[in-house]
Amino acid sequence: MPVVMIIYYIISAFIAGLLIWNFIREKEDRQKMLLYLIVITPIILRLFRIR
Amino acid sequence: MAIALILLVMIAAYVIAKWRKLSVELCMLSSAVAGGIAGALIVQAPPLAQLARHLVEGTFTYLDVILVFCTATIFITIIAESGGVNYVVRGIIRTFYYKRVVVLLLLMFVILIPGALTGAGSISILTVGTPCALALGYLGIPKKRVAAILFIIAGLSAAAPPVNIWAMIISAGTAIPYVGFELPLGIPVLMLGAFTIFVLGWKRESNLELEEVLKDMPDVPAGMSMWRVLLPFLVFFGLVLVSRLLPFTLPILGLPLEFTIAAAVALLVSPKKLNFLILSRDTVKKLTPLLATMAIVGSLQQIMTVTGVRGLISFAVLSTPLVLLYILLILIIPISEGILTYGGAAIVGIPLVWFLDSMGLHATVVIAGLSLIWPLGDGLPPTALIGRLTIMFTKYEGTYWSFLKTTWLPWIVITIIGMLMIIFSSELSFLVRWSM
Repeated sequence: MPVVMIIYYIISAFIAGLLIWNFIREKEDRQKMLLYLIVITPIILRLFRIR
Repeated sequence: MAIALILLVMIAAYVIAKWRKLSVELCMLSSAVAGGIAGALIVQAPPLAQLARHLVEGTFTYLDVILVFCTATIFITIIAESGGVNYVVRGIIRTFYYKRVVVLLLLMFVILIPGALTGAGSISILTVGTPCALALGYLGIPKKRVAAILFIIAGLSAAAPPVNIWAMIISAGTAIPYVGFELPLGIPVLMLGAFTIFVLGWKRESNLELEEVLKDMPDVPAGMSMWRVLLPFLVFFGLVLVSRLLPFTLPILGLPLEFTIAAAVALLVSPKKLNFLILSRDTVKKLTPLLATMAIVGSLQQIMTVTGVRGLISFAVLSTPLVLLYILLILIIPISEGILTYGGAAIVGIPLVWFLDSMGLHATVVIAGLSLIWPLGDGLPPTALIGRLTIMFTKYEGTYWSFLKTTWLPWIVITIIGMLMIIFSSELSFLVRWSM
């Protein structure tokens, strides 16, 4: 796998981590929690190379 | 008839979701889900068992744009948090306070840069909105006009190169490469930005001494200097330039990686110790509605394609007489932005560009012209994304409509320039050639 692609996977993992962190910290706003899940979905699927 | 019914179901779902006070992003998601279900029941497309796959697959459409958004905003937030923005604004005021033309132009550039780099005018307001509003206020401009200046220039910053999300969405959807936009976007943005700031900011209504102004401005951290602000930008633009000049020697880095490298440099040269993790977490939190919009617009687009609604809209565009279409664009473009934010580019913009391209117009210049008009819709309800943020950050206390009315002259001029770019796109195609 080329180095640039590996770095992109690391960047994606970092952003996914930040989204999960925010999701866990969000206790009240359910709409916002849903938005976090929507944004995380493609990133996680790409990270695990499912899509 | 069946497809028109699906479109009606989608509109009804949006309206009901809005009535139930869901956020704009969730209204769009409701519309996509309802459209998918209606499609499965009415025209058996998509099959009900495939609906979830289509919704999820759609979220991948703008994954690259999501990465650009995140990395660019983290980069610009590091610059702002390290005191770089305050340093630049203070420097501009101290050096050029009595040279009104220069000070106004420099402040325009400061507002333009964050939005141009991230593709979101809201980022300009979030990062440089407060210091620039203060500086414009110290120059004797009333709050209503300060808000109008910030709103229009932040909108133009979103259209400015190198990152223009509307153009990226349309390019992705029409298989037109996202290249050659620098001059067709850069020149009108600079001209219209200068026009706006001079028209709205020329008249001075109060007069303060420079010493008073500097005393009131936010402090700059000790050790901050011009090279600490400039170096990250030089690295970013250097990487962009080098990858253009040596396309076969260097690997393709892409905007997200270029922003990440520039962010690392900004973090290293910051005179203030920044907690990178917390800063990144809070930035992503602020960005989430925009990121979700991008993901959901992808799903909405996928559902509209599979159910045939997108084809129906394309057909409606194709069958509208050209002169009537040009007149309608003045309204359709900002209103689609006000309702769907970036989704307007996918749903209205893509068939529109197909159609105008087939009429012999130059697609890249047409996209650039449309991109100038779209940001105006960021002041229109229900979303009014940049408009609401502007009111918040300028602390304008009048009614929303009184602020919006102040923007009438730049609004009209921007619309005229955008329309002229569309109509005379073939004549302006040399701008695209010169950009490459």
